[in-house]
Amino acid sequence: MSSVNQIPEDQKWQALLARSTPTFAGNTTLPFGFLTQTLARIKTENREREIFERIGLRSLFVAISVLIAVVGVSISVQLQSRSDFDPAVKSLLQADDVPIS
Amino acid sequence: MDSPIDVADCLRRWKDGDESAAEELIGHLHPVISRIVRTHLPRRDHEDDIIQEILMKTFSRLHQYKGDAPISHWVSRLALTTCLDRLRAQKIRPEVRWTDLTPEESTAFDAAWLGSTSPDATDAIHARDLVDKLLSTLPPDDRSLILLVDLEGRSLEEISQSTGWGISKIKMRLFRIRAQLRKMIQNLEQRK
Repeated sequence: MSSVNQIPEDQKWQALLARSTPTFAGNTTLPFGFLTQTLARIKTENREREIFERIGLRSLFVAISVLIAVVGVSISVQLQSRSDFDPAVKSLLQADDVPIS
Repeated sequence: MDSPIDVADCLRRWKDGDESAAEELIGHLHPVISRIVRTHLPRRDHEDDIIQEILMKTFSRLHQYKGDAPISHWVSRLALTTCLDRLRAQKIRPEVRWTDLTPEESTAFDAAWLGSTSPDATDAIHARDLVDKLLSTLPPDDRSLILLVDLEGRSLEEISQSTGWGISKIKMRLFRIRAQLRKMIQNLEQRK
């Protein structure tokens, strides 16, 4: 650092920084109303997050239930339709003595 | 830094829904965050809003805090990242000209040559405005880097640990930043 400080422009920069140092110090006390406001925001955000999580879980549960129902219905329909042959096809199958399950 | 309050106890109580634990944590973390925001963002930015934003992030990510380092270190990193994101959203000035300076900033520039050691609060604010103007020509990472070194006196190793940059990269960046600051100060001197 000492070699850097030999250069007049660096000295100038350091001097400017030194003069402005008090403005960089942090607040040691909380501004009026800050705590209440922040706590309220944190609580609201937590509540919203919980609601969204609950909605998300419910939506997921509903989606899975719907999916299971759709799969169930389509499987049962398919099983049923296997025996519902066209009369012409049915008679053809019966003529050939093909077992219809 | 963590000695005035029992952070582990506060976190436990906060998980159990004790609001006073949050109050203690905010009171403990506010000075740390405030110092970082004041250092890394221009003076005129909405300081309280940004501090609040950082506190909100802190509380929403508290479950990620492992407790292997002081909470102030963990929050400092979060605060610095938030400040850098803010700076990245701001426009970088191409240069600072003498005509860009207010009369007070010009006086602060001249006074810095005189090496006056005891500026009053108003002088400090004008010097700070000028520092902000000079820093506004630097990319956000460079701006934070020079302040970490010149203002906070952090070692290169410390910066390397907190930023993840290699020492040689930091040295190279510092060299480039100093050259840019020298050039700007020279220009201001010549265009008076």
